[in-house]
Amino acid sequence: MTGLSEVTQRHDGQITAVGHPVPKGEPILELKVLKKNYGAVEALKPATMTFLSGEIHAIVGENGAGKSTLIKLLTGVIPRTSGEILWCGAPVALANPNEAIARGINAVHQEVVLCPHLSVAANMFLGDEMNSRGLMRKRAMTDAAQAVLDDLGFNLPANAELGSLTIGQQQLVATARAAMRGTQFLIFDEPTAYLTGQESAQLFRLIRRLQSQGVTIVYISHRLEEVFELADRVSVLRDGTHVGTRPITETNEAELIALMINRTIEQIYHKEHFAPGETIVETRGLSGPGFRDVSLTVRAGEIVGLYGLIGAGRSEFALGLYGRHPTTAGEIYWQGRKVSIANERTAMELGIALAPESRRDQGLCLNLPIGLNINLPVFRRMTRGLTINRAEEAANADRQIRDLQIKTPSRRVLASAMSGGNQQKIVIGKWLSHGARLFIFDEPTVGVDVGTKAEIYRLFARLLENGAGIILISSYLPEVYELADRLHVFRQGRLVASHDYRAASHEEVLAQAINA
Amino acid sequence: MSVETIESAGPAPRKGVSILFGLTLFGLLIVLWLLLGLATNAFWTPNNISNLLRQGAMTAILAVGQTFVIITAGIDLSVGAVVGFSSVVVAWLLAAGVPLWLALLATLLMGVLIGVFHAFGIVRMGLPPFIITLATLTSLRGIGLLITNGSTISITNEAFTTFSRADFLGIPSLFWMVIVVAVPAYVFLHLSRFGRYLFAVGSNSEAARLSGVNVNRTIYLAYILSSTCAAFVGLLLASRIGIGNATQAEGWELQAIASSVIGGTSLFGAVGSVHGPLLGAFILATINNGANLLNVNSFWQRIITGLLIIVIVYFDQLRRRGAR
Repeated sequence: MTGLSEVTQRHDGQITAVGHPVPKGEPILELKVLKKNYGAVEALKPATMTFLSGEIHAIVGENGAGKSTLIKLLTGVIPRTSGEILWCGAPVALANPNEAIARGINAVHQEVVLCPHLSVAANMFLGDEMNSRGLMRKRAMTDAAQAVLDDLGFNLPANAELGSLTIGQQQLVATARAAMRGTQFLIFDEPTAYLTGQESAQLFRLIRRLQSQGVTIVYISHRLEEVFELADRVSVLRDGTHVGTRPITETNEAELIALMINRTIEQIYHKEHFAPGETIVETRGLSGPGFRDVSLTVRAGEIVGLYGLIGAGRSEFALGLYGRHPTTAGEIYWQGRKVSIANERTAMELGIALAPESRRDQGLCLNLPIGLNINLPVFRRMTRGLTINRAEEAANADRQIRDLQIKTPSRRVLASAMSGGNQQKIVIGKWLSHGARLFIFDEPTVGVDVGTKAEIYRLFARLLENGAGIILISSYLPEVYELADRLHVFRQGRLVASHDYRAASHEEVLAQAINA
Repeated sequence: MSVETIESAGPAPRKGVSILFGLTLFGLLIVLWLLLGLATNAFWTPNNISNLLRQGAMTAILAVGQTFVIITAGIDLSVGAVVGFSSVVVAWLLAAGVPLWLALLATLLMGVLIGVFHAFGIVRMGLPPFIITLATLTSLRGIGLLITNGSTISITNEAFTTFSRADFLGIPSLFWMVIVVAVPAYVFLHLSRFGRYLFAVGSNSEAARLSGVNVNRTIYLAYILSSTCAAFVGLLLASRIGIGNATQAEGWELQAIASSVIGGTSLFGAVGSVHGPLLGAFILATINNGANLLNVNSFWQRIITGLLIIVIVYFDQLRRRGAR
């Protein structure tokens, strides 16, 4: 307890200066017919909501439902079109991020926005360094940061370079940073998207501790079980409309999903069983950077699930199989024939497609048009002599946009303008136009809304029906559990257990993924 | 669904914006010409116009090559040095009695090899483009000075030296060379798949690689094209001044980069065109030409160029931000 409260104390003076503490359970932030338009488009339709002091208030909704618009309004990133925001009972402008921070409103974003080359301690104190006669007190800051981290039970070194930590650990640092800023109102935007189970547990502990210190928490997540674990109340947004707020004890998962998408839970994990056909690919003792001695088989018409914590070697195995990283030992048999896959092109020509783990870093050219992204693997085929057949180029892009229902006015819009779900559809569209026998989907539904998830799962069934095989990599157990015909568990680069469809319990699989 | 409506408020389709930007630059060029025509009688004379076209032509060709590299999120600082070095090589070969066609071909081939060397340093040795091309910049000047022993080599081949002064259909032959480069460059960048690959590599090379694009080959291609364009300009310059001199074309790399950036190329990669750098080069040439005619101190030209880069790139930033 010592570390955090000591450091927070330094900032207490600033907080009380801007607002009187609101008693627990009283409204701390109220939205009165708050509205945001982008041009003629209503991103947030007039919303009236109340956040109570000291509560954990979850907000759920599909991508594009208006959650990010709401966060941006509350953190002063964008101006509202009309309506009022009351902070501690008084109207506030929230005209810029500094005003929001000064009032004690802070947000922790899904993507960590800190300086990777500075130390953990330097990041935690960034913009608010401890000084002594104009010089930074580096030692004191490192000690204070370490005290906070230890106190939170994070087990992270304060003097390590931030970039040397995993994304999950960086997220914890970002949270700790927000926690020591004298924050009264803290918004979490999908914080667990990149966290392991253990890191999520640490984060939840921190959130509960902040709550016990009187901080109001807004928690945005796609994962409803987290909402039920943490939240006191939950609000649902759909199509920019606030469709309801419920105390968590008076609702259930089915009702929330119905509010979010008007669809039942059974319809999400869409699963069709097909009789397995011929073996498409078999690996025998395959080893490479990050994975060792992996033997598995994928047959036509089946989904092979790879479950494990982040860093367990699943993505590395996929990249090895795809020829991105050279394999060091073991064999690959493609439809019974021994092959060596030295590079990505060889993999593609055999008939392997990879929708990689990170859309931003590996999947998409974000500042290029949707059409170019979709056609990237197939430009070779569209080339007639020296030039590309532009009619074919346009037709293929438009066909994928139509078939996959990518929500865009034109193929010329940049991929960066799309929501997570639509970006994932672009990545998938790329491989549908190329065609493949074996599709590897690495975390296909991270940051993807429930509606699009269901569409992606239905698409899996369509691929299987046409004789393809699928490797599905996911850190989200219910997903692989409900979808995989055969489930392999990875731990520390090795394949440690295999189960048939729903043959083992969640607890058993989780235990295998975490320790021996 | 609201997803649809929100996103339709996103950036306007790209093609329209690019054309609009090109037209704005073209408008700027015309306005400059009209203003200079009003301000000085010497501007709209056939002599001055063909002089202007000759001046702009060489920067324009360099800028087109440079643009290929910048689209891949790289930079080629060596182009000025390659121009000077090429003039030495061709003069040296001609002085040694090598037939003209072979001398020209060998000089261009040397440009190709310099590009190969750059790409090799970037792809295989992992050097940043800035560093490897900076190293070549200084080394090539040094090698050129060694060959010429610090002086110049005169070119006596009449056919070669008259070329740059010749006109064809009333237009200077040097300007025709811009067209000779620009048309295939346009086909390459905007109509062929390799052009798409340049953009993809500049945007996200890992995504391009995982989509089956040969990233290394694309980088080789970009640097080879840039160096070859520079070697070609070296030939044109040698023809124009009639000598080979390793210290020629000092600072032309910055002229080329400036032209490209004024023409809308993004130094962060993945944004650029062929017509942009051409217009950029002739805008710069017009400013220099106009400043000469108006008897503005030539030192001011450098300052004006700097300011122009800031203003145009700033407006471009505003445009991009507004599109969000």
